[in-house]
Amino acid sequence: MNPAVVERSGAVVAGIAVAVVSFYSLYKDWKATGVENNVFKIMLFLLGLGAILAILAGLNVIGSAPPSKGA
Amino acid sequence: MAVASLAHDAHGEADQLYIEVRELRLQGFLLFLISDCVLFSSFIFAYLYLRNSGQGWPPPGIHRLDVPFAAWNSVVLFGSGATMHYALENFKHGYWMRYVWFLLATIVLGAGFLGGQAYEYTHLIYGEHVTWAGSGIFGASFFTLTGMHGFHVLLGVCYLTTLLLQSAAGVYTRGKFFGITAGTLYWHFVDVIWVVLFSIFYLI
Repeated sequence: MNPAVVERSGAVVAGIAVAVVSFYSLYKDWKATGVENNVFKIMLFLLGLGAILAILAGLNVIGSAPPSKGA
Repeated sequence: MAVASLAHDAHGEADQLYIEVRELRLQGFLLFLISDCVLFSSFIFAYLYLRNSGQGWPPPGIHRLDVPFAAWNSVVLFGSGATMHYALENFKHGYWMRYVWFLLATIVLGAGFLGGQAYEYTHLIYGEHVTWAGSGIFGASFFTLTGMHGFHVLLGVCYLTTLLLQSAAGVYTRGKFFGITAGTLYWHFVDVIWVVLFSIFYLI
């Protein structure tokens, strides 16, 4: 099998798992107060966002544009 | 009676002192993360400026980076962020074995990410002849930023291994575990920086 297909599939499947876990943790901790909990919430949101980007890259939706021509 | 009362007061003062010191440590650690953020930001904005003022990107003669592999490797690192979060949560709730397993998983995934980065570097240097000094702005910015991030991940893996050993030695208790909180904050920070680097090097 083509290694790129394996990598893309792995990125999509594992990415979905990471995104679900991140957003679920964010949902669970939503009402927590204090500086560190608020920092954790921001970090969890960005982690979930990163997982979504990896899923989209795995699905070839982003990251496949041809090289830019420049100014 | 008086002795017991004095001991109780001393215990209460020690707890209060710990809470105050903990707040100061947290503020200091967050300032450290902000300063690290400034360091990465300066390199990232320099890279973006150079990228947009050049003759197209990637420069002629250099292929696009391997997006499927980078996506997979990114998920490995993001997954380690999730396991680290659960390690902290389990420690807070007193589930010792779950904490150990999640922390171990974080260390393994972090090391896995570093292995993936080493593989990518090897492929770029020996397969495509892209080097730090010999490939212009592209090579310099790519290896500087991802190398700096990789160094942070390496330090993080060492830090988490130290946390594991300290935890096994009984350094942290359910009431006093700032080291584990700081480790989790640092690991999330490293993850978030990679979200940005992954986007600017591989996706746009």
